[in-house]
Amino acid sequence: MFYFIYKRLIQSVFVMLAVAFLAFSLFRFVGDPITQMTGVETSVVDQERLREELGLNDPFISQFGRFTVDMLQGDFGYSFRTRQPVAEMIASRIPATLELGVVALLISLVVGIPAGVYTALRPRGVITQTILITTLIGISIPTFVIGIMLIFLFGVQLGWLPTFGRGETVNIGFWESSFFSIDGWRALILPAVTLGVYQLTLTMRLVRAQMMDVMRSDYIRFATARGVPMRQLYFRHALANTMVPVITIIGLQFGGVIAFSIVTESVFQWPGMGLLFLESIRFVDIPVMGVYLVVIAFFFVVVNLLVDLLYVAIDPRLRV
Amino acid sequence: MKKRSLRHSALLSSVLVSLAAGVSATGASAETFRWASNTDPQTMDPHAVNSAPVLSFLNNVYEGLVRRGEAMAIEPSLATSWEPLVGQNGWRFHLRENVTFQNGAAFTAEDVLFSYQRASSEAADVRSWFAPVADVTVVDDYTIDFVTTAPNPLFPDSIANFMILDKGWAEKNNAVLPASDAENFATMNVNGTGPFVLSSRDPGVKTVLKPYSGWWDTATHNVTEAVFTPIGNPATGIAALLSGEIDFIQPIPLQDAKQVESRKGFKILEGEETRVIMFGFGHEHEKLLYSSDVKDANPFKDPRVRLAASHAINMASIDRVLFRGKIEAASQLVPAGISGYSEKNAARHEYDPKRAKELLAEAGYPNGFSFGLKCTNDRYINDEALCRAAASMLSAVGLKAKLSTGPVRDYWTQLRADDFDMYLLGWSPGTFDMEHPIRFLLHSQDDAKKLGSWNFGNYSNARVDELLPLIQQEINPTNRQNLIDEVVSITQKDAAYIPLYTQPLIWATKENVDMTQRADNFFLLRWVTVN
Repeated sequence: MFYFIYKRLIQSVFVMLAVAFLAFSLFRFVGDPITQMTGVETSVVDQERLREELGLNDPFISQFGRFTVDMLQGDFGYSFRTRQPVAEMIASRIPATLELGVVALLISLVVGIPAGVYTALRPRGVITQTILITTLIGISIPTFVIGIMLIFLFGVQLGWLPTFGRGETVNIGFWESSFFSIDGWRALILPAVTLGVYQLTLTMRLVRAQMMDVMRSDYIRFATARGVPMRQLYFRHALANTMVPVITIIGLQFGGVIAFSIVTESVFQWPGMGLLFLESIRFVDIPVMGVYLVVIAFFFVVVNLLVDLLYVAIDPRLRV
Repeated sequence: MKKRSLRHSALLSSVLVSLAAGVSATGASAETFRWASNTDPQTMDPHAVNSAPVLSFLNNVYEGLVRRGEAMAIEPSLATSWEPLVGQNGWRFHLRENVTFQNGAAFTAEDVLFSYQRASSEAADVRSWFAPVADVTVVDDYTIDFVTTAPNPLFPDSIANFMILDKGWAEKNNAVLPASDAENFATMNVNGTGPFVLSSRDPGVKTVLKPYSGWWDTATHNVTEAVFTPIGNPATGIAALLSGEIDFIQPIPLQDAKQVESRKGFKILEGEETRVIMFGFGHEHEKLLYSSDVKDANPFKDPRVRLAASHAINMASIDRVLFRGKIEAASQLVPAGISGYSEKNAARHEYDPKRAKELLAEAGYPNGFSFGLKCTNDRYINDEALCRAAASMLSAVGLKAKLSTGPVRDYWTQLRADDFDMYLLGWSPGTFDMEHPIRFLLHSQDDAKKLGSWNFGNYSNARVDELLPLIQQEINPTNRQNLIDEVVSITQKDAAYIPLYTQPLIWATKENVDMTQRADNFFLLRWVTVN
């Protein structure tokens, strides 16, 4: 077991290196940081001096090498735009993104799994059809459109929920949390729903398909014949057996939710890592972009690892 | 069974929603003023970055020797008066007494000298303001001399954003120089003499200002707390305003102005920015880069071809279709009202496609030619749409423009690498004087003298180059205007650039807020009244 985890962590280092390499080879096409950092009146000579100081004239390989060596030593560098330490900037934005991602995931599970079970058990019901069609619409509309529609409905027209930001946050050590105030929760609802819609639809459809499959299997028929109570049958026997593929997909998707919360964060001005990344692209803030991509790669690796470990917990057959 | 559990959760969510609605009814306290803009000031250091979001924001906290009033004219601030030095070039500033910094330290000439040294150091991006300065000497506690290398009548105007730091505070906190690689104390903390102090700052998220009770000037605003949030997405910003979560946003997209105006309780502030949008040419290029028919020459070297391009553009229809009648056509590189604006050359090349075709024929291109037009798509209002419209107008007379647009973040690099035949540029005169675009856009490129640094196509005219220093040094306003008129006349005849229009400026606020919209897009809290 420990060997397994150890092996995965070693692999993750290579994944992150590869991501950093790809990222760095693309940065040259993003734009010129110097013209973003300086005012219009700054002379060409001063611009060149700054470019030299920041090492932007060095060949790609040595820039990448410097970045990697510094990273390995725990030095994440300083932002071109704000001059703040990149590690601090990203760390301060992690709680916002994680909380948003987790709540979006919970929404998708709490709604998606029961809805999946229901639509599997009553495949031809009116409610089932309604659910299927609505979620199909939900999944077909781009995230930012859903976000803006929700903002205009619940924020502007009805005035129920805030349209942007995190609301009131409470600091628990370094962790800035929205979970401990009503204001924080209110601010979370719309972005979390926006981010969770896709995930919800996916979960529901997956559970539905798996469930319909399982319900046709022999052991369910035998259980039915034996007179196992319906509730126990559905949830303990059928649902439990649908969970392995569902967890795989949801787990992998969670990495995606964290990584691609960029759109949602931008629409709701949600101060997470995604928003920071977008700002960094706008200002060609190479150090922040580089570290962000590496951190996201790390998230993916960790999530995959957790998914693998969860398998073992859920499916006793894998423990052998 | 299952049905009931579903109904339960539906009930629960409706309770949650109504709970949320109940909470929102008790809104925020009234005296707090909340505003948003699309860019967060990247630092709190007034000398580190020469960018409008930073300088606009810090003008609430720090002050200069002079400041700009509501109509952009300079007026006394930390200096009460100034006059040209006698016997040498430069200016003497008489400083205001009994001014204290927000930490309680007294303001003296030493602070001005220190701020000059700091702002003109290599680590400071604003150092270009001090290029004409030879020396600064403290005469006494409340008198300071700025000696310039040549007569410089515009110097006081050019340092309106030069903000004064407390020497003792900067020294104590190791912020003697602006941060060049890592941040320093002044990146996140302030100590100015201005009307507001920084109460908290979370970069990119929220910045809170509170009035400074010890401000030397009489406060005419009634803001007790001001909360700034950057909102990058324009739709989100409009939603935040319309839902009442913010009181004011700058700027808003042109197409949203109507929507905001039509709602009860909101209003639009409309004005002209000082930024003139124009087309430039690759004057010194030997050949066109993007042409499919003329490969061995650069027709834009011929002023007749440039004039033809100018006559091909129908500003009235651009205004009507793209800008809803909100723009002012431009005849020169600054808008009317800016000092040095040439009244004598106020007529722009009129829209005359026939004349354009004649000019092209005279220049030897009766059937026109194709070329590349470079434009940004995220820098100026409607920039991409503007270029599309212009490209089709140019094509109509035979100037077949192949348009390519891209984000601004690598646009300047391409222009600096001479990768264009014709390009779009917007220019706002930092000193609010015509000398500024002459220095940056019309003078020949000269890196050593720091001239013509944004003259990407390297328009070069010996007479213009000769006139610039004369304009910079001329004290007599009439003579100076004559010199400027000559430059404008030359460059207009030459069609060095095609000035198009002055960019509109649109802000949106709640109805009950009064404020001043300054033409440089700076927003100052000291002019805000919440009724």
